[in-house]
Amino acid sequence: MRRALPWVGLFALFLAVGVLADQSWRRARLALPEIGRRELEPTVGQGVLLGVLGGFRTVVADFTWIRGYVLWERKNDRAGTELLMRAACALDPRSRFFWENTGLAVANDMGHWEIRRRGGYAKVPKEIQDHLLRGYAQRGMVLLDEGIVSTGGDAALLATAALVAELQLKDLGRSADYYRRAAEARAAPWFAARFAAANLWKEGRRREAYVWYRAHWLKVLRLAEDGSPDDLKELRDMEHELRLPLLQRLPQQSWEVSQPGFVPRTNEGVTAPSPVGGQSRK
Amino acid sequence: MKAACHRSLWIARITFLEAIRQRFFAFLFILGAALVLASGAVRVFDFGHSELKFLADFGFGGLFLFGSILGVVMTAQLFFAEIDNRTALTLLAKPLSRAEFLAGKFLGIWAVLGVFVLVLAALLAAMLGWRAAELAQLAVERRLAPPECDLAGLALYASLQWLRLGVIVAMVLAVAAAARTFLFAVVVGALAVLAGQLQWLSQELLLKPAETGLGHAALWLLTHLLPNLQQFNLGDALVLAPHQVTAGTLPWVFLSGVAYVVAFLVLATFLFRRREI
Repeated sequence: MRRALPWVGLFALFLAVGVLADQSWRRARLALPEIGRRELEPTVGQGVLLGVLGGFRTVVADFTWIRGYVLWERKNDRAGTELLMRAACALDPRSRFFWENTGLAVANDMGHWEIRRRGGYAKVPKEIQDHLLRGYAQRGMVLLDEGIVSTGGDAALLATAALVAELQLKDLGRSADYYRRAAEARAAPWFAARFAAANLWKEGRRREAYVWYRAHWLKVLRLAEDGSPDDLKELRDMEHELRLPLLQRLPQQSWEVSQPGFVPRTNEGVTAPSPVGGQSRK
Repeated sequence: MKAACHRSLWIARITFLEAIRQRFFAFLFILGAALVLASGAVRVFDFGHSELKFLADFGFGGLFLFGSILGVVMTAQLFFAEIDNRTALTLLAKPLSRAEFLAGKFLGIWAVLGVFVLVLAALLAAMLGWRAAELAQLAVERRLAPPECDLAGLALYASLQWLRLGVIVAMVLAVAAAARTFLFAVVVGALAVLAGQLQWLSQELLLKPAETGLGHAALWLLTHLLPNLQQFNLGDALVLAPHQVTAGTLPWVFLSGVAYVVAFLVLATFLFRRREI
Protein backbone atom coordinates (compact mmCIF):
# COMPACT_ATOMS: atom_id res chain seq x y z
CA MET A 1 0.00 0.00 0.00
CA ARG A 2 2.79 2.36 0.99
CA ARG A 3 4.62 1.66 -2.28
CA ALA A 4 1.57 2.74 -4.28
CA LEU A 5 1.20 5.99 -2.36
CA PRO A 6 3.61 8.08 -4.50
CA TRP A 7 1.87 6.88 -7.64
CA VAL A 8 -1.50 7.85 -6.22
CA GLY A 9 -0.06 11.24 -5.29
CA LEU A 10 1.30 11.74 -8.81
CA PHE A 11 -2.01 10.68 -10.31
CA ALA A 12 -3.84 13.20 -8.11
CA LEU A 13 -1.33 15.91 -9.05
CA PHE A 14 -1.85 15.35 -12.78
CA LEU A 15 -5.62 15.27 -12.36
CA ALA A 16 -5.50 18.60 -10.53
CA VAL A 17 -3.34 20.11 -13.29
CA GLY A 18 -5.73 18.62 -15.86
CA VAL A 19 -8.71 20.33 -14.22
CA LEU A 20 -6.78 23.63 -14.34
CA ALA A 21 -5.87 23.08 -18.01
CA ASP A 22 -9.49 22.24 -18.79
CA GLN A 23 -10.57 25.65 -17.52
CA SER A 24 -7.77 27.31 -19.46
CA TRP A 25 -8.71 25.52 -22.71
CA ARG A 26 -12.35 26.55 -22.44
CA ARG A 27 -11.21 30.17 -22.56
CA ALA A 28 -8.40 29.79 -25.11
CA ARG A 29 -10.57 27.83 -27.51
CA LEU A 30 -12.75 30.86 -28.20
CA ALA A 31 -9.77 32.58 -29.83
CA LEU A 32 -8.99 29.57 -32.08
CA PRO A 33 -11.65 29.37 -34.82
CA GLU A 34 -9.55 26.90 -36.83
CA ILE A 35 -9.87 24.28 -34.13
CA GLY A 36 -12.37 21.44 -34.27
CA ARG A 37 -13.44 21.69 -37.89
CA ARG A 38 -14.91 18.50 -39.27
CA GLU A 39 -13.91 19.45 -42.84
CA LEU A 40 -10.26 18.79 -41.96
CA GLU A 41 -10.72 15.20 -40.84
CA PRO A 42 -10.66 13.57 -44.31
CA THR A 43 -7.62 15.60 -45.39
CA VAL A 44 -5.45 15.18 -42.31
CA GLY A 45 -3.52 12.35 -43.95
CA GLN A 46 -2.77 14.46 -47.02
CA GLY A 47 -0.24 16.89 -45.59
CA VAL A 48 -2.73 19.01 -43.71
CA LEU A 49 -1.63 17.61 -40.35
CA LEU A 50 1.06 20.26 -39.82
CA GLY A 51 -1.56 22.98 -40.24
CA VAL A 52 -3.81 21.27 -37.73
CA LEU A 53 -0.99 20.92 -35.23
CA GLY A 54 0.03 24.53 -35.03
CA GLY A 55 2.24 26.74 -37.15
CA PHE A 56 2.36 27.18 -40.95
CA ARG A 57 -1.44 27.20 -41.18
CA THR A 58 -1.54 29.79 -43.96
CA VAL A 59 1.18 28.01 -45.93
CA VAL A 60 -0.59 24.66 -45.59
CA ALA A 61 -3.89 26.38 -46.48
CA ASP A 62 -2.27 27.88 -49.60
CA PHE A 63 -0.94 24.53 -50.76
CA THR A 64 -4.26 22.85 -50.03
CA TRP A 65 -5.99 25.54 -52.07
CA ILE A 66 -3.58 25.07 -54.99
CA ARG A 67 -4.29 21.33 -54.98
CA GLY A 68 -8.02 22.03 -54.96
CA TYR A 69 -7.59 24.58 -57.73
CA VAL A 70 -5.74 22.07 -59.91
CA LEU A 71 -8.67 19.66 -59.54
CA TRP A 72 -11.10 22.51 -60.25
CA GLU A 73 -9.29 23.22 -63.53
CA ARG A 74 -9.64 19.56 -64.55
CA LYS A 75 -13.39 19.79 -63.88
CA ASN A 76 -13.80 16.06 -63.33
CA ASP A 77 -13.37 15.46 -59.61
CA ARG A 78 -16.18 17.25 -57.84
CA ALA A 79 -15.73 15.53 -54.48
CA GLY A 80 -11.95 16.05 -54.42
CA THR A 81 -12.21 19.70 -55.41
CA GLU A 82 -14.80 20.46 -52.77
CA LEU A 83 -12.93 18.51 -50.11
CA LEU A 84 -9.65 20.37 -50.64
CA MET A 85 -11.26 23.77 -51.04
CA ARG A 86 -13.26 23.27 -47.85
CA ALA A 87 -10.10 22.13 -46.09
CA ALA A 88 -8.38 25.40 -47.09
CA CYS A 89 -11.36 27.32 -45.67
CA ALA A 90 -11.22 25.31 -42.47
CA LEU A 91 -7.46 25.84 -42.08
CA ASP A 92 -7.89 29.58 -42.34
CA PRO A 93 -11.53 30.44 -41.66
CA ARG A 94 -10.81 34.17 -41.47
CA SER A 95 -9.81 34.31 -45.15
CA ARG A 96 -12.47 35.77 -47.46
CA PHE A 97 -10.69 34.54 -50.59
CA PHE A 98 -11.11 30.84 -49.76
CA TRP A 99 -14.77 31.11 -48.74
CA GLU A 100 -15.71 33.27 -51.70
CA ASN A 101 -14.06 31.10 -54.33
CA THR A 102 -15.19 27.82 -52.77
CA GLY A 103 -18.76 29.11 -52.57
CA LEU A 104 -18.66 30.30 -56.17
CA ALA A 105 -17.07 27.08 -57.45
CA VAL A 106 -19.74 24.95 -55.76
CA ALA A 107 -22.66 27.23 -56.65
CA ASN A 108 -21.71 28.07 -60.24
CA ASP A 109 -19.64 25.17 -61.58
CA MET A 110 -20.35 21.90 -59.86
CA GLY A 111 -23.92 21.56 -61.04
CA HIS A 112 -22.66 21.76 -64.63
CA TRP A 113 -19.94 19.18 -63.94
CA GLU A 114 -22.58 16.84 -62.56
CA ILE A 115 -24.79 17.31 -65.65
CA ARG A 116 -21.80 16.58 -67.89
CA ARG A 117 -20.95 13.50 -65.81
CA ARG A 118 -24.50 12.20 -66.34
CA GLY A 119 -24.20 12.45 -70.10
CA GLY A 120 -24.45 16.12 -70.97
CA TYR A 121 -27.15 18.75 -71.46
CA ALA A 122 -28.77 16.90 -74.37
CA LYS A 123 -29.22 13.70 -72.39
CA VAL A 124 -30.23 14.97 -68.93
CA PRO A 125 -33.86 16.18 -68.75
CA LYS A 126 -34.34 19.90 -68.16
CA GLU A 127 -36.08 19.36 -64.81
CA ILE A 128 -33.18 17.26 -63.53
CA GLN A 129 -30.73 19.91 -64.76
CA ASP A 130 -32.63 22.62 -62.90
CA HIS A 131 -32.79 20.45 -59.79
CA LEU A 132 -29.04 19.81 -59.91
CA LEU A 133 -28.10 23.42 -60.56
CA ARG A 134 -30.37 24.61 -57.79
CA GLY A 135 -29.05 21.98 -55.38
CA TYR A 136 -25.44 23.00 -55.92
CA ALA A 137 -26.35 26.68 -55.71
CA GLN A 138 -27.91 25.96 -52.31
CA ARG A 139 -24.75 24.15 -51.22
CA GLY A 140 -22.68 27.11 -52.34
CA MET A 141 -24.93 29.41 -50.34
CA VAL A 142 -24.42 27.28 -47.22
CA LEU A 143 -20.66 27.67 -47.67
CA LEU A 144 -20.94 31.39 -48.22
CA ASP A 145 -23.13 31.71 -45.12
CA GLU A 146 -20.52 29.84 -43.12
CA GLY A 147 -17.83 32.15 -44.50
CA ILE A 148 -19.86 35.22 -43.60
CA VAL A 149 -20.03 34.04 -40.00
CA SER A 150 -16.33 33.07 -39.92
CA THR A 151 -15.12 36.39 -41.34
CA GLY A 152 -17.34 38.43 -39.06
CA GLY A 153 -19.74 39.55 -41.83
CA ASP A 154 -17.32 40.48 -44.60
CA ALA A 155 -19.07 42.94 -46.95
CA ALA A 156 -17.61 41.50 -50.17
CA LEU A 157 -18.65 37.98 -49.16
CA LEU A 158 -22.18 39.24 -48.45
CA ALA A 159 -22.26 40.81 -51.91
CA THR A 160 -21.11 37.51 -53.45
CA ALA A 161 -23.87 35.63 -51.60
CA ALA A 162 -26.36 38.21 -52.87
CA LEU A 163 -25.17 37.64 -56.43
CA VAL A 164 -25.50 33.85 -56.16
CA ALA A 165 -28.98 34.18 -54.60
CA GLU A 166 -30.04 36.46 -57.46
CA LEU A 167 -28.48 34.70 -60.44
CA GLN A 168 -28.50 31.03 -59.44
CA LEU A 169 -31.47 30.77 -57.06
CA LYS A 170 -33.51 33.58 -58.66
CA ASP A 171 -34.45 34.61 -55.11
CA LEU A 172 -34.60 38.39 -55.21
CA GLY A 173 -35.79 38.78 -51.63
CA ARG A 174 -32.88 36.77 -50.28
CA SER A 175 -30.47 38.60 -52.56
CA ALA A 176 -31.81 41.96 -51.36
CA ASP A 177 -31.31 40.86 -47.77
CA TYR A 178 -27.64 40.02 -48.41
CA TYR A 179 -27.08 43.28 -50.27
CA ARG A 180 -28.71 45.15 -47.41
CA ARG A 181 -26.38 43.49 -44.92
CA ALA A 182 -23.42 44.25 -47.20
CA ALA A 183 -24.46 47.91 -47.39
CA GLU A 184 -24.63 48.11 -43.63
CA ALA A 185 -21.29 46.31 -43.10
CA ARG A 186 -17.85 47.88 -42.71
CA ALA A 187 -16.15 48.72 -46.06
CA ALA A 188 -19.44 48.29 -47.92
CA PRO A 189 -19.22 48.11 -51.74
CA TRP A 190 -20.62 51.24 -53.41
CA PHE A 191 -23.34 49.31 -55.25
CA ALA A 192 -24.70 47.27 -52.32
CA ALA A 193 -27.38 49.68 -51.13
CA ARG A 194 -28.63 50.40 -54.63
CA PHE A 195 -28.84 46.71 -55.55
CA ALA A 196 -30.61 45.90 -52.27
CA ALA A 197 -33.28 48.49 -53.03
CA ALA A 198 -33.44 47.45 -56.70
CA ASN A 199 -34.01 43.77 -55.88
CA LEU A 200 -36.71 44.57 -53.34
CA TRP A 201 -38.31 46.84 -55.93
CA LYS A 202 -38.18 44.16 -58.62
CA GLU A 203 -39.80 41.72 -56.19
CA GLY A 204 -42.72 44.09 -55.80
CA ARG A 205 -41.83 45.36 -52.36
CA ARG A 206 -41.55 48.89 -53.68
CA ARG A 207 -42.55 50.85 -50.60
CA GLU A 208 -40.21 48.80 -48.40
CA ALA A 209 -37.38 49.33 -50.89
CA TYR A 210 -37.85 53.08 -50.84
CA VAL A 211 -38.17 53.35 -47.06
CA TRP A 212 -35.00 51.35 -46.43
CA TYR A 213 -32.98 53.04 -49.18
CA ARG A 214 -34.04 56.48 -47.99
CA ALA A 215 -33.15 55.71 -44.37
CA HIS A 216 -29.79 54.29 -45.45
CA TRP A 217 -29.05 57.31 -47.62
CA LEU A 218 -29.84 59.67 -44.76
CA LYS A 219 -27.84 57.67 -42.25
CA VAL A 220 -24.81 56.56 -44.30
CA LEU A 221 -24.63 57.56 -47.96
CA ARG A 222 -25.37 61.25 -47.45
CA LEU A 223 -22.29 61.48 -45.22
CA ALA A 224 -19.96 60.37 -48.03
CA GLU A 225 -17.66 63.06 -49.38
CA ASP A 226 -19.74 63.61 -52.54
CA GLY A 227 -23.09 62.97 -50.82
CA SER A 228 -23.74 59.90 -53.06
CA PRO A 229 -25.58 61.78 -55.86
CA ASP A 230 -26.27 58.62 -57.93
CA ASP A 231 -28.12 57.05 -55.02
CA LEU A 232 -30.09 60.24 -54.49
CA LYS A 233 -31.04 60.26 -58.16
CA GLU A 234 -32.25 56.67 -57.77
CA LEU A 235 -34.28 57.68 -54.73
CA ARG A 236 -35.80 60.57 -56.67
CA ASP A 237 -36.90 58.13 -59.38
CA MET A 238 -38.46 55.90 -56.77
CA GLU A 239 -40.31 58.85 -55.23
CA HIS A 240 -41.53 59.74 -58.69
CA GLU A 241 -42.73 56.23 -59.47
CA LEU A 242 -44.33 55.79 -56.03
CA ARG A 243 -46.10 59.12 -56.63
CA LEU A 244 -45.11 60.41 -53.22
CA PRO A 245 -46.44 63.84 -52.31
CA LEU A 246 -43.70 66.46 -52.18
CA LEU A 247 -43.81 66.68 -48.41
CA GLN A 248 -43.07 62.96 -48.03
CA ARG A 249 -40.05 63.10 -50.32
CA LEU A 250 -36.46 63.68 -49.29
CA PRO A 251 -35.81 67.40 -48.88
CA GLN A 252 -33.99 68.87 -51.86
CA GLN A 253 -30.25 69.03 -51.22
CA SER A 254 -28.43 72.30 -51.78
CA TRP A 255 -26.00 70.68 -54.23
CA GLU A 256 -28.64 68.65 -56.06
CA VAL A 257 -29.65 71.29 -58.62
CA SER A 258 -26.10 71.48 -59.95
CA GLN A 259 -26.06 67.75 -60.73
CA PRO A 260 -26.18 66.77 -64.45
CA GLY A 261 -29.63 65.54 -65.48
CA PHE A 262 -31.39 67.21 -62.54
CA VAL A 263 -35.17 67.30 -63.06
CA PRO A 264 -37.26 69.34 -60.63
CA ARG A 265 -40.03 67.11 -59.23
CA THR A 266 -43.68 67.98 -58.81
CA ASN A 267 -46.81 66.09 -57.84
CA GLU A 268 -47.92 66.12 -61.46
CA GLY A 269 -47.44 63.59 -64.30
CA VAL A 270 -45.85 60.70 -62.46
CA THR A 271 -47.28 57.79 -64.43
CA ALA A 272 -44.35 57.37 -66.84
CA PRO A 273 -40.95 56.18 -65.59
CA SER A 274 -38.33 58.83 -65.12
CA PRO A 275 -36.11 59.44 -68.18
CA VAL A 276 -32.95 59.27 -66.09
CA GLY A 277 -31.63 56.70 -63.62
CA GLY A 278 -33.51 53.67 -62.36
CA GLN A 279 -31.70 51.26 -64.70
CA SER A 280 -30.83 48.76 -62.01
CA ARG A 281 -34.51 48.37 -61.08
CA LYS A 282 -35.67 47.40 -64.59
CA MET B 1 17.47 25.81 0.02
CA LYS B 2 19.82 28.55 -1.16
CA ALA B 3 22.60 26.01 -1.63
CA ALA B 4 20.25 23.73 -3.59
CA CYS B 5 19.30 26.62 -5.89
CA HIS B 6 22.95 27.47 -6.31
CA ARG B 7 23.78 23.89 -7.30
CA SER B 8 20.86 23.72 -9.73
CA LEU B 9 21.90 26.99 -11.33
CA TRP B 10 25.42 25.69 -11.68
CA ILE B 11 24.16 22.62 -13.53
CA ALA B 12 21.91 24.91 -15.60
CA ARG B 13 24.86 27.07 -16.58
CA ILE B 14 26.91 24.08 -17.70
CA THR B 15 23.92 22.65 -19.60
CA PHE B 16 23.27 26.00 -21.28
CA LEU B 17 26.86 26.30 -22.48
CA GLU B 18 26.89 22.71 -23.65
CA ALA B 19 23.60 23.12 -25.55
CA ILE B 20 24.39 26.42 -27.17
CA ARG B 21 27.62 25.00 -28.61
CA GLN B 22 25.78 22.12 -30.28
CA ARG B 23 25.77 22.07 -34.07
CA PHE B 24 22.24 20.74 -34.02
CA PHE B 25 21.05 23.83 -32.16
CA ALA B 26 22.96 26.13 -34.52
CA PHE B 27 21.51 24.35 -37.56
CA LEU B 28 17.88 24.62 -36.44
CA PHE B 29 18.44 28.13 -35.15
CA ILE B 30 19.77 29.31 -38.53
CA LEU B 31 17.03 27.41 -40.36
CA GLY B 32 14.32 29.05 -38.23
CA ALA B 33 15.81 32.52 -38.66
CA ALA B 34 16.18 32.01 -42.42
CA LEU B 35 12.55 30.93 -42.62
CA VAL B 36 11.36 34.08 -40.88
CA LEU B 37 13.54 36.32 -43.04
CA ALA B 38 12.56 34.50 -46.23
CA SER B 39 8.86 35.02 -45.52
CA GLY B 40 9.19 38.57 -46.84
CA ALA B 41 10.47 37.27 -50.17
CA VAL B 42 7.89 34.53 -50.66
CA ARG B 43 4.85 36.54 -49.64
CA VAL B 44 4.05 37.09 -53.33
CA PHE B 45 3.09 33.42 -53.52
CA ASP B 46 0.38 33.91 -50.93
CA PHE B 47 -3.26 34.36 -51.68
CA GLY B 48 -6.29 34.43 -49.50
CA HIS B 49 -4.65 35.96 -46.45
CA SER B 50 -3.58 39.35 -45.34
CA GLU B 51 0.13 39.89 -45.90
CA LEU B 52 0.79 40.30 -42.20
CA LYS B 53 -0.93 37.01 -41.42
CA PHE B 54 1.25 35.24 -43.96
CA LEU B 55 4.44 36.76 -42.52
CA ALA B 56 3.34 36.04 -38.96
CA ASP B 57 2.48 32.46 -39.81
CA PHE B 58 5.99 31.76 -41.06
CA GLY B 59 7.34 32.95 -37.73
CA PHE B 60 4.76 31.01 -35.74
CA GLY B 61 5.51 27.90 -37.80
CA GLY B 62 9.26 28.27 -37.22
CA LEU B 63 8.78 28.69 -33.48
CA PHE B 64 6.40 25.74 -33.31
CA LEU B 65 8.22 23.25 -35.54
CA PHE B 66 11.89 23.91 -34.87
CA GLY B 67 11.22 24.77 -31.22
CA SER B 68 9.47 21.44 -30.70
CA ILE B 69 12.26 19.48 -32.47
CA LEU B 70 14.89 21.28 -30.40
CA GLY B 71 12.91 20.72 -27.20
CA VAL B 72 12.61 16.99 -27.74
CA VAL B 73 16.00 16.12 -29.25
CA MET B 74 18.19 18.45 -27.23
CA THR B 75 16.65 17.43 -23.92
CA ALA B 76 17.07 13.72 -24.58
CA GLN B 77 20.58 14.24 -25.97
CA LEU B 78 21.85 16.32 -23.06
CA PHE B 79 20.30 13.99 -20.49
CA PHE B 80 21.72 10.81 -22.03
CA ALA B 81 25.10 12.44 -22.63
CA GLU B 82 25.46 12.70 -18.83
CA ILE B 83 24.36 9.10 -18.35
CA ASP B 84 26.41 7.59 -21.20
CA ASN B 85 29.59 9.54 -20.37
CA ARG B 86 29.19 8.61 -16.70
CA THR B 87 29.42 12.28 -15.70
CA ALA B 88 26.04 11.89 -13.99
CA LEU B 89 27.64 9.38 -11.60
CA THR B 90 30.39 11.82 -10.68
CA LEU B 91 27.97 14.70 -10.31
CA LEU B 92 25.49 12.76 -8.20
CA ALA B 93 28.28 11.49 -5.95
CA LYS B 94 28.78 15.10 -4.87
CA PRO B 95 26.22 16.70 -2.52
CA LEU B 96 23.81 17.13 -5.43
CA SER B 97 20.37 15.56 -5.31
CA ARG B 98 18.71 14.04 -8.34
CA ALA B 99 15.94 16.67 -8.15
CA GLU B 100 18.56 19.45 -8.26
CA PHE B 101 20.27 17.75 -11.19
CA LEU B 102 17.01 17.55 -13.14
CA ALA B 103 16.01 21.11 -12.21
CA GLY B 104 19.41 22.30 -13.43
CA LYS B 105 19.06 20.37 -16.68
CA PHE B 106 15.58 21.78 -17.20
CA LEU B 107 16.62 25.38 -16.54
CA GLY B 108 19.67 25.12 -18.81
CA ILE B 109 17.74 23.70 -21.75
CA TRP B 110 14.83 26.05 -21.18
CA ALA B 111 17.23 29.02 -21.20
CA VAL B 112 18.66 27.90 -24.56
CA LEU B 113 15.14 27.60 -25.94
CA GLY B 114 14.48 31.07 -24.50
CA VAL B 115 17.33 32.43 -26.64
CA PHE B 116 15.86 30.63 -29.67
CA VAL B 117 12.36 32.06 -29.05
CA LEU B 118 13.68 35.54 -28.28
CA VAL B 119 15.77 35.84 -31.45
CA LEU B 120 13.07 34.40 -33.74
CA ALA B 121 10.38 36.60 -32.14
CA ALA B 122 12.62 39.68 -32.51
CA LEU B 123 13.22 38.89 -36.20
CA LEU B 124 9.50 38.34 -36.70
CA ALA B 125 8.69 41.60 -34.89
CA ALA B 126 11.12 43.45 -37.16
CA MET B 127 9.56 41.91 -40.29
CA LEU B 128 6.01 42.58 -39.13
CA GLY B 129 6.78 46.08 -37.90
CA TRP B 130 8.44 47.02 -41.18
CA ARG B 131 5.66 45.66 -43.36
CA ALA B 132 2.85 46.92 -41.08
CA ALA B 133 4.28 50.46 -41.35
CA GLU B 134 4.39 50.18 -45.16
CA LEU B 135 0.85 48.82 -45.34
CA ALA B 136 -0.42 51.50 -42.95
CA GLN B 137 1.09 54.15 -45.23
CA LEU B 138 -0.61 52.58 -48.26
CA ALA B 139 -3.90 52.37 -46.37
CA VAL B 140 -3.74 56.08 -45.51
CA GLU B 141 -3.13 56.92 -49.20
CA ARG B 142 -6.10 54.78 -50.25
CA ARG B 143 -8.29 55.95 -47.36
CA LEU B 144 -8.61 52.45 -45.97
CA ALA B 145 -8.36 51.19 -42.42
CA PRO B 146 -4.74 50.23 -41.59
CA PRO B 147 -4.12 46.52 -40.89
CA GLU B 148 -4.10 45.42 -37.28
CA CYS B 149 -0.74 44.25 -35.90
CA ASP B 150 0.00 44.20 -32.19
CA LEU B 151 3.71 43.74 -31.42
CA ALA B 152 2.99 43.60 -27.68
CA GLY B 153 0.75 40.64 -28.54
CA LEU B 154 3.74 39.09 -30.30
CA ALA B 155 5.79 39.42 -27.11
CA LEU B 156 3.00 37.66 -25.21
CA TYR B 157 2.83 34.93 -27.85
CA ALA B 158 6.61 34.45 -27.66
CA SER B 159 6.39 34.00 -23.89
CA LEU B 160 3.55 31.51 -24.38
CA GLN B 161 5.69 29.55 -26.83
CA TRP B 162 8.59 29.57 -24.40
CA LEU B 163 6.27 28.19 -21.74
CA ARG B 164 5.00 25.53 -24.20
CA LEU B 165 8.62 24.53 -24.87
CA GLY B 166 9.14 24.38 -21.11
CA VAL B 167 6.27 21.88 -20.85
CA ILE B 168 7.85 19.84 -23.67
CA VAL B 169 11.29 19.86 -22.02
CA ALA B 170 9.81 18.79 -18.66
CA MET B 171 7.77 16.09 -20.40
CA VAL B 172 10.80 14.71 -22.29
CA LEU B 173 12.87 14.80 -19.09
CA ALA B 174 10.20 12.63 -17.43
CA VAL B 175 10.34 10.20 -20.37
CA ALA B 176 14.17 10.23 -20.40
CA ALA B 177 14.29 9.60 -16.65
CA ALA B 178 12.49 6.30 -17.21
CA ALA B 179 13.94 5.43 -20.64
CA ARG B 180 16.98 3.26 -21.23
CA THR B 181 18.07 4.66 -24.60
CA PHE B 182 18.29 8.03 -26.27
CA LEU B 183 16.27 6.87 -29.27
CA PHE B 184 13.43 5.62 -27.11
CA ALA B 185 13.30 8.95 -25.27
CA VAL B 186 13.23 10.92 -28.54
CA VAL B 187 10.53 8.78 -30.15
CA VAL B 188 8.28 8.65 -27.08
CA GLY B 189 8.92 12.35 -26.39
CA ALA B 190 7.97 13.28 -29.97
CA LEU B 191 4.85 11.15 -29.77
CA ALA B 192 3.93 12.79 -26.46
CA VAL B 193 4.28 16.22 -28.09
CA LEU B 194 2.10 15.09 -30.99
CA ALA B 195 -0.50 13.72 -28.58
CA GLY B 196 -0.36 16.98 -26.62
CA GLN B 197 -0.98 18.99 -29.78
CA LEU B 198 -3.97 16.82 -30.62
CA GLN B 199 -5.24 16.44 -27.04
CA TRP B 200 -8.01 18.95 -27.74
CA LEU B 201 -9.73 16.32 -29.90
CA SER B 202 -10.53 14.25 -26.83
CA GLN B 203 -11.51 17.41 -24.98
CA GLU B 204 -13.94 18.26 -27.77
CA LEU B 205 -15.42 14.77 -27.60
CA LEU B 206 -15.77 15.08 -23.86
CA LEU B 207 -17.87 18.20 -24.25
CA LYS B 208 -20.40 16.27 -26.33
CA PRO B 209 -23.14 14.70 -24.22
CA ALA B 210 -23.34 11.65 -26.53
CA GLU B 211 -20.32 10.04 -24.89
CA THR B 212 -21.35 8.19 -21.71
CA GLY B 213 -20.17 5.50 -19.30
CA LEU B 214 -16.77 3.90 -19.78
CA GLY B 215 -15.95 5.93 -22.89
CA HIS B 216 -16.64 9.14 -21.03
CA ALA B 217 -14.46 8.06 -18.11
CA ALA B 218 -11.58 7.10 -20.43
CA LEU B 219 -11.81 10.41 -22.25
CA TRP B 220 -11.91 12.32 -18.99
CA LEU B 221 -8.76 10.57 -17.78
CA LEU B 222 -7.00 11.15 -21.10
CA THR B 223 -7.79 14.85 -21.13
CA HIS B 224 -6.70 15.30 -17.56
CA LEU B 225 -3.44 13.39 -17.78
CA LEU B 226 -2.13 14.57 -21.17
CA PRO B 227 -1.06 18.20 -21.51
CA ASN B 228 -3.02 20.32 -23.96
CA LEU B 229 -0.37 22.07 -26.03
CA GLN B 230 -2.81 23.61 -28.49
CA GLN B 231 -3.89 26.20 -25.93
CA PHE B 232 -0.55 28.00 -26.37
CA ASN B 233 -1.15 28.63 -30.10
CA LEU B 234 -2.89 31.96 -29.69
CA GLY B 235 -0.56 33.76 -32.11
CA ASP B 236 -3.13 34.78 -34.73
CA ALA B 237 -5.49 36.14 -32.14
CA LEU B 238 -2.84 37.89 -30.04
CA VAL B 239 -0.98 39.56 -32.92
CA LEU B 240 -3.54 40.11 -35.65
CA ALA B 241 -6.87 40.28 -33.82
CA PRO B 242 -6.20 41.11 -30.14
CA HIS B 243 -9.90 41.73 -29.45
CA GLN B 244 -10.55 38.00 -29.97
CA VAL B 245 -8.72 37.04 -26.79
CA THR B 246 -11.17 37.42 -23.93
CA ALA B 247 -10.07 38.90 -20.62
CA GLY B 248 -8.69 36.33 -18.23
CA THR B 249 -7.63 33.85 -20.91
CA LEU B 250 -3.88 34.47 -20.74
CA PRO B 251 -3.47 34.17 -16.94
CA TRP B 252 -5.24 30.80 -17.12
CA VAL B 253 -3.03 29.59 -19.96
CA PHE B 254 0.13 30.73 -18.16
CA LEU B 255 -1.05 29.14 -14.93
CA SER B 256 -1.82 25.81 -16.57
CA GLY B 257 1.55 25.86 -18.40
CA VAL B 258 3.48 26.45 -15.18
CA ALA B 259 1.41 23.73 -13.45
CA TYR B 260 2.31 21.23 -16.20
CA VAL B 261 6.01 22.10 -15.93
CA VAL B 262 5.96 21.53 -12.17
CA ALA B 263 3.94 18.30 -12.47
CA PHE B 264 6.26 16.81 -15.11
CA LEU B 265 9.37 17.81 -13.16
CA VAL B 266 7.93 16.11 -10.06
CA LEU B 267 7.23 13.00 -12.16
CA ALA B 268 10.73 13.13 -13.69
CA THR B 269 12.32 13.41 -10.24
CA PHE B 270 10.25 10.52 -8.93
CA LEU B 271 11.24 8.30 -11.87
CA PHE B 272 14.89 9.38 -11.81
CA ARG B 273 15.16 8.57 -8.08
CA ARG B 274 14.10 5.02 -8.79
CA ARG B 275 16.53 4.63 -11.64
CA GLU B 276 19.87 2.85 -11.36
CA ILE B 277 22.62 4.73 -13.13
